[in-house]
Amino acid sequence: MSYAYLFKYIIIGDTGVGKSCLLLQFTDKRFQPVHDLTIGVEFGARMITIDSKQIKLQIWDTAGQEAFRSITRSYYRGAAGALLVYDITRRETFNHLTTWLDDARQHSNSNMVIMLIGNKSDLESRREVKKEEGEAFAREHGLVFMETSAKTAANVEEAFINTAKEIYEKIQEGVFDINNEANGIKIGPQHSPTNPSLPGATGSSGSQGGGCC
Amino acid sequence: MDSMYARFKNVVVGAVVGHEVGSNHDYSSKNQKLEPKFPYSRPHFLNLDNEEIHISADHRLRPIIHPSKPLPYHAGYAECINAGKSRWNEDQAVYRQGVLTKPEVQFSIPYTYYGIFDGHAGVGAALCAANQLHHIIHEKLVDSQDDIWADFNGKRSVICKQIDLLVIGALESAFKEMDQLIAEDRTKYLAPGGCTACVALFILGKLYVSNAGDSRAILCNNNNFQPLSMDFTPESERDRIRRLVENQPSLIGDEFTSKEFLQPLKTVDLGKTVMFRDAHMKGWAYKTVEQEDLKSPVIVGHGKRSRLMGTIGVTRGFGDHDLYAIYTKVQIKPLLSCRPEVQVYKINSTDKNEVLVMGTDGLWDVVCCSKAAEIVQKSITSFSEKERYICAATCLVGFARGSLVNDHNWQLKNGKQASCDDISVLVIPTFPYKLEYEELCKKYNQKLSDS
Repeated sequence: MSYAYLFKYIIIGDTGVGKSCLLLQFTDKRFQPVHDLTIGVEFGARMITIDSKQIKLQIWDTAGQEAFRSITRSYYRGAAGALLVYDITRRETFNHLTTWLDDARQHSNSNMVIMLIGNKSDLESRREVKKEEGEAFAREHGLVFMETSAKTAANVEEAFINTAKEIYEKIQEGVFDINNEANGIKIGPQHSPTNPSLPGATGSSGSQGGGCC
Repeated sequence: MDSMYARFKNVVVGAVVGHEVGSNHDYSSKNQKLEPKFPYSRPHFLNLDNEEIHISADHRLRPIIHPSKPLPYHAGYAECINAGKSRWNEDQAVYRQGVLTKPEVQFSIPYTYYGIFDGHAGVGAALCAANQLHHIIHEKLVDSQDDIWADFNGKRSVICKQIDLLVIGALESAFKEMDQLIAEDRTKYLAPGGCTACVALFILGKLYVSNAGDSRAILCNNNNFQPLSMDFTPESERDRIRRLVENQPSLIGDEFTSKEFLQPLKTVDLGKTVMFRDAHMKGWAYKTVEQEDLKSPVIVGHGKRSRLMGTIGVTRGFGDHDLYAIYTKVQIKPLLSCRPEVQVYKINSTDKNEVLVMGTDGLWDVVCCSKAAEIVQKSITSFSEKERYICAATCLVGFARGSLVNDHNWQLKNGKQASCDDISVLVIPTFPYKLEYEELCKKYNQKLSDS
């Protein structure tokens, strides 16, 4: 399917905060209460519309486990947006945000848009982190903030789409060099002169065997 | 991505000097129009779509890809692309499960097959092997299944061979046929380059590792390891190549010398006395340097940098039928071999933690066997059974790939150079195959007593 832009996202945060569930809710509109441990990285994709332009989000869902930290760190590079997720019912996942943020800032490009997400907002009775604390952290570090529930889908669309809006605005302002793919932004095939297809693909359409997402 | 690709292209040592498709492979102009037999793809069990195939080929990020659906007994696999030496990942991997059926007695013998193939000078040969070798092996096993059955059944006759020799023979003849198929297909399809092959076959409680090339298989158990293959490089195969050249000196043309010297000789050395050995010699002697001796030795360099005819760093595998020694018209294929070395391991461990680790040289160039065993052990103790082997494979690839420092240098944690090659790793628990065999025997005995 054609798109005007492709934005690359990365989802980060402690293990068990619901990163993969947020992705699944966003891409497949469903919730899986028991999710397998993410190993290394998994990919997801979805098309959205901003300013009547088709934008494809390519999402890298990373493992939260310490054992994979050195591997996943290398994926920050080349992301236009990051979703930094904590679990509102587990204080320690909020306490680790600074470490995650330092890591992200150190290894990503400086223009990367970071959205802070307090997930599991449906579990109000078990809440350990107040919404105001999340807001304060976001304000202090210049992040966009939102509480979501991957279970009820509350704010999930908004979290992904608002991040894309921020990136899109930055493009309009000329902050991003959209010709450098290392920024996590790619101009769609119909806008771009070069569309590398796989070797051995018959014809020049490059659309053998299914197609993307 | 592309600038990264270009930057690394010239600094990485490939298996073939002069690399990228066609440089020292000879294709007639009509062949240029041929289509590949198998389009580029990643291993079938990864289920990647086109977009994910492109993501996996990002030389700047080198994402580590693993299967999203479990492999048999939760076996692990992980891979990542090179740092820019070739556009696509030239490694391939495959697994298959099959059965040898005996319709008369309504009984079948299951087997599981894993293979890794490290391509060079193109993706063609490795794709052909990954897509076809298991079919050929299956045919060979079926050819011998009556004999295998007789041996399993304890009804071996005088002319019947034992199972080990039957399976080894099936693997050996399949490797030969695979190479011939690639040779024959050259007129019909585009399949550039060559590849190594390392295959593991689990059948009747045993593991057969069949290896041709410099990929490697080891058994790991509680921080210990046991090699199940040897690396075939110009250096390790010096004797085989020396014997070939001794019998057929024409194989190396006028460009090379079969003599070995302690140091490379130059014109100024003419007339000097130096130590040497020729193809027919085991030991060393002295001779006076003549013009003839200034030719390039047929094998140069040591270890990872050893080269056959100054061109190729691996001496067994499939393909390379049109490979010429760089800057010459001397064919290299006659000195290469597709013959595998097959090692047999009877799975007798009572330890559930024993695993078979198979990896391409992208892993073994920077991770020694004991380090690999240590990384595997750590994953086994840290993760549940469902995840531990994928985690082990991912951690092995992650360790070998290292991280990108200063935007241009892939480094290991200790600061040493990391692997810039394609890296593929399989981590397979062996214990379930022992249980599977015991189950099979039980089932068969039950069947016998029932009838």
